[in-house]
Amino acid sequence: MPRRFITAEDIRRVGSGEIVVESQTVVTPQALDAARAVGVVLKGSNGSAFEQPAPDRGPDAARAEQSMPLMPEPEADEAGGTGVMVVVVGRNRTGVLAEITSAIAQNGGNVRDISQRSVEDYFHLVLTVGLEHAGQFKPLKETLDCLGGDQDFVARVMHERVFRYMHRV
Amino acid sequence: MAFSDTEILETLRMVELETLDVRTTTLGISLLDCADPDLESTCEKIYAKIVHHGKDLVTVADSIAADYGVPIVNKRIAVTPISLVAAASGATCLVPLARALDAAAGEVGVDFIGGFSAYVHKGFTRADEALFRSIPEALEVTQRVCSSVALGTTKAGINMDAVSEFSELVIDTAQRSASTGGLGCAKLVCFMNPVEDNPFVAGAHIGIGEPETVINVGVSGPGVVRSALERLGPDTDLLAAYETIKRTAFKITRVGELVGREAARRMNTTFGIVDVSLAPTPAVGDSIADILELIGVDKAGAPGTTAALAMLTDAVKKGGAMASSCMGGLSGAFIPVSEDQGMIDAVAAGAMSLAKLEAMTAVCSVGLDMVAVPGDTPAATLTGIIADELAIGMVNAKTTAVRIIPVPGKGPGETVEWGGLLGTAIVQDPGSFSCALLHRRGGRIPAPLQSYKN
Repeated sequence: MPRRFITAEDIRRVGSGEIVVESQTVVTPQALDAARAVGVVLKGSNGSAFEQPAPDRGPDAARAEQSMPLMPEPEADEAGGTGVMVVVVGRNRTGVLAEITSAIAQNGGNVRDISQRSVEDYFHLVLTVGLEHAGQFKPLKETLDCLGGDQDFVARVMHERVFRYMHRV
Repeated sequence: MAFSDTEILETLRMVELETLDVRTTTLGISLLDCADPDLESTCEKIYAKIVHHGKDLVTVADSIAADYGVPIVNKRIAVTPISLVAAASGATCLVPLARALDAAAGEVGVDFIGGFSAYVHKGFTRADEALFRSIPEALEVTQRVCSSVALGTTKAGINMDAVSEFSELVIDTAQRSASTGGLGCAKLVCFMNPVEDNPFVAGAHIGIGEPETVINVGVSGPGVVRSALERLGPDTDLLAAYETIKRTAFKITRVGELVGREAARRMNTTFGIVDVSLAPTPAVGDSIADILELIGVDKAGAPGTTAALAMLTDAVKKGGAMASSCMGGLSGAFIPVSEDQGMIDAVAAGAMSLAKLEAMTAVCSVGLDMVAVPGDTPAATLTGIIADELAIGMVNAKTTAVRIIPVPGKGPGETVEWGGLLGTAIVQDPGSFSCALLHRRGGRIPAPLQSYKN
């Protein structure tokens, strides 16, 4: 195992010249300052300039993914992409559904399922939306969160995985 | 996989109206490799390692909250008990290590870091002794550092010397933070049978059997359970109430499991546990006392409260155990008095006494938490209160803890405002009878018969 740290004390002990830092060694901020102060040059193990390594999360981290017990995740061939639930509650008025669905369409969402109820002037709308890739979730959520208003309607967007975890064994 | 409207609206209601949240995402970091004969180098290594591993924690947690639409309230760090890391240095004052922890926590942007800790359930090493002596100053000069000590286990008994010393530390810490009502003590807790992957402050730390780094998650949701019981109404029997709590706990735990897995995946580390603890906040509705009252007592503290709490804790554990294979050891219900508006009301109404609270801790998931006592409470009395609580944990092979605050300048019945999540407390009367001899005797209460299971 390479040494874990290089401290300011280690730099002072070397005093001058060059230190080759092994690939997983962390150099403390004080050691970097000390190296600058006394003129010690830090080199990476492959001869290049030193950079802090990526965090070594330990031997368990590599095995972590395999040891996870099964949870109600989507099957690989099931619809594909990312599922999103959109729930909208508000006052019914002309064009409200079009406004919501066009915002979804503009963000690349495909409405897979829709259910709507109206009670007097109010409606609630539940949409299951498919996205081709996970990166589209954030812009969709941001767009829909900003739609509507105080006296109009409120849209809430949540990831389908939350519902799978919560409601399926 | 289609979901019914009822399921979809239920989830949304929990998050939007019933304050379902992930209370904490805690990154555990082992600091055992930071031991160094030189204290200054130990500090350097500790700072460097925490920042190295923790720098992405807040970003990752925030991105998960944004991606899944579930709030993650706190991001925290737990580390190896510092007395183990400091031992090689031979230092007698460990305050510089607390400052290093504080600085690292500030750099990575977490509000608390736990692990200024020692295990002394059977005796002290030199480093444990140094850590004990450093606690009051360490808590005074840092903002984010929390300290916890293990004073007993079912396997080892209770170290009464350590209990007596801890009582003195509590008084010193309270006096040093007199201007804030003794609030320094909110960052100091002692344990019987400590849970070594505890994600919650003030007891958060990472024990010696833990991996290099690990994500532990604490979920909460007293508001969700309360609303579910409200909808159930008063006309069903206890088994129906139990079933409702259990089902709700299942759903809450699953959200924690999802967040924990996702956080571990995004940080490339191990997922440890999800701790499903109904942890109240001073917000109206986010109260354990309210749940107890819905189960069937007029006020928390009335006869029947211990039975209701036992049922609640067990139902939460069963729901949690169904939902996750890796449920944390503190799962159940916390009853921090000052942080729960219903409990504050119960104390104010005279329904809740210190004695009743102690009985309740025999069946809740932790112990005496955020209890205010008069500022002039003698150390011997604190020793007695703590030893009683630890004895309950020892004999029942459960975790118990004491976080007690002798509020400087306040007497029984007076109110102290701590603000924020720590809430308001009414100073409770520990009575006028002393246990000075017990305090003075010291020594150990040896392991109980319950520990001989081999």
